Amino acid sequence: MAKKISKKDIAQLLKAWSQQFAVLAPSRKRGVAEMAEWDGKDVSFLDWYRNTVVPPKASFLPPMEEMFRFQKDKDNYKIEPPSKNGQKQLIFGIRPCDARAMAILDMTFEDAYQDPYYLSKRKNTLLVGLSCANPCESCFCTSLGISPSESADVDLMLTNIGDHFFIEEITAKGKELTAKTSGLKDANKDDEAEARKAKETAYNKVTRKLDTEGIKDKLLASFDDEGFWEKAAAKCVSCGICTLLCPTCYCFDINDELVKDEGARFRSWDSCGFSLYTRMPMENPRKEKWRRVRQKVCHKFEFYPMTFDIIACTGCGRCIRLCPVNWDITKVLESVPAKAKAGK
Amino acid sequence: MTVSDINQRQKFFAEGNVYLPHIAVIEKIIEETPGVRTFHFNLKDQKLQKDFSFESGQFAQYSVFGIGEAPFCISSSPTRRDHLEFAAQRVGKVTNALHRLGVGAEIGFRGPYGNSFPLDFLKGKNLVFVGGGNGLAPLRSLIWNVIDNRNKYKKIDIVYGARSPADLCFKYDLDAWDRNKTVNMVTTVDKGDDTWKGKVGLVPKVLEEVAPSAEEAVAIVCGPPIMIRFTFPALEKLGFKPEQMLTTLEKRMKCGIGKCGRCNIGNIYVCRDGPVFSYAQIKNFVSSEY
Repeated sequence: MAKKISKKDIAQLLKAWSQQFAVLAPSRKRGVAEMAEWDGKDVSFLDWYRNTVVPPKASFLPPMEEMFRFQKDKDNYKIEPPSKNGQKQLIFGIRPCDARAMAILDMTFEDAYQDPYYLSKRKNTLLVGLSCANPCESCFCTSLGISPSESADVDLMLTNIGDHFFIEEITAKGKELTAKTSGLKDANKDDEAEARKAKETAYNKVTRKLDTEGIKDKLLASFDDEGFWEKAAAKCVSCGICTLLCPTCYCFDINDELVKDEGARFRSWDSCGFSLYTRMPMENPRKEKWRRVRQKVCHKFEFYPMTFDIIACTGCGRCIRLCPVNWDITKVLESVPAKAKAGK
Repeated sequence: MTVSDINQRQKFFAEGNVYLPHIAVIEKIIEETPGVRTFHFNLKDQKLQKDFSFESGQFAQYSVFGIGEAPFCISSSPTRRDHLEFAAQRVGKVTNALHRLGVGAEIGFRGPYGNSFPLDFLKGKNLVFVGGGNGLAPLRSLIWNVIDNRNKYKKIDIVYGARSPADLCFKYDLDAWDRNKTVNMVTTVDKGDDTWKGKVGLVPKVLEEVAPSAEEAVAIVCGPPIMIRFTFPALEKLGFKPEQMLTTLEKRMKCGIGKCGRCNIGNIYVCRDGPVFSYAQIKNFVSSEY
């Protein structure tokens, strides 16, 4: 049975949840929109929030994260494992595209060896989704099988129906949460109809389309088409922003720091857009920019589908909105030759 | 690798955390060439050292604390376990730091990672080892492994080369294999000097002269990418099929377990799906990504 909550009670709701969880909600305090610890009162994001600039992956794979510390005692070293952080989190307002991105990231971090840093945070976090009412011009989620207003990848899903939010319980964890939350009312048939209408309207507002049919095979066939990739990469400035702020990009670097006798190992976001990313002392397989752009596009639309049977793109549009030179992945994908030119 | 293999391996790591290194102690250092050193080491914790197991072809992440980590194959054979070995050429930040270390120094060690040479597939076959420079490191783990189980394999040919006599690595192994009558050892250099009495010529060319038969044979190739690129066509000329050619690849790596992203060739991660591959697996990408 779906629930609803009056809009003016949202602050109350988040306050109640703050008792059990570290609640994260959209915030612009640091200049760009991101999911940040809720300050206990401000719900003005309900008016300005379309999507965060920093994707929610940052709450699971932080831009920089300490992996462990070590101590140096003369010539001996002692490793201090990371402390077990059992803090329960709740992310309020995640968009369906970004929730799907988390499901896509799970595949990598659960694959073969478990990644303890990512997975422990993921296990301790509830996702409360918020339907998109105003998708951006750059959004193309519907082309990737995602609706801006529905999600199976969250625990609860909220949809704006005028003076209320309509609440769907998606997972058992979500159901458990609503059962323990006071101030929710049962939704009726009219609310349901309102929600359906709102979702349909939002869906139709996503006007940008990308034809993903057969894209994997087209990319495979065009892998050696150097001319095509050179053209596709021509205006790229290798700034890396389309990967760093992509909700499904997960590449990271690992580095050490040692000050006197106290040290730590960190991991930090990295990007296949940077030429140092693959550089080895003797050579670099992706020295040329076009090879790096090819890697980025093919990883999402060819290699990830080959390994996990899903395209590693959710159509969130960040790489289009945030690119300083208006590079547009949908345009690149549309121009992949239907048949590869004769190989070199 | 099956899920239970992974679970079994994951248990070896402190708290099951695959990123946490164990402390290892350097026991001996051998100057192979002016830029390449072999390090003999053991895990500091004796119980771990005893429980540790690996197979020829696997690699590990080695760290100099405060400087960083770098991946190297375990260059010793699992059949010889009084210590472990790896070889490092002094070329970057971590390898320079490694070369400054002395006997008794402590380093970080996590592994083993990756797949290994398929011993079941090699059993009962003629083996042709083709190595160049310090690319002999992973091969020598397997070479000693098969020599220590000599009756399981048929003919063994080894073709090994380096730029100059001074660049030949593991000379003590080359001598031992040369003396071993059950092994056909051919050493070559690109350019000889006054004292060099052996063969002169590039590895792929010398390989064609040695002309090992492709019948019931497997070639195992490792060396600099340029050598690998020319060795595969040479083997094809000798009648080897892509499935009969194995190699072990090297890429920049950080995590070692298929997460950090950078060591892919197409949809394959060298760390997770390799480092041992058949030419059949990688030939589509070799021209453009390796």
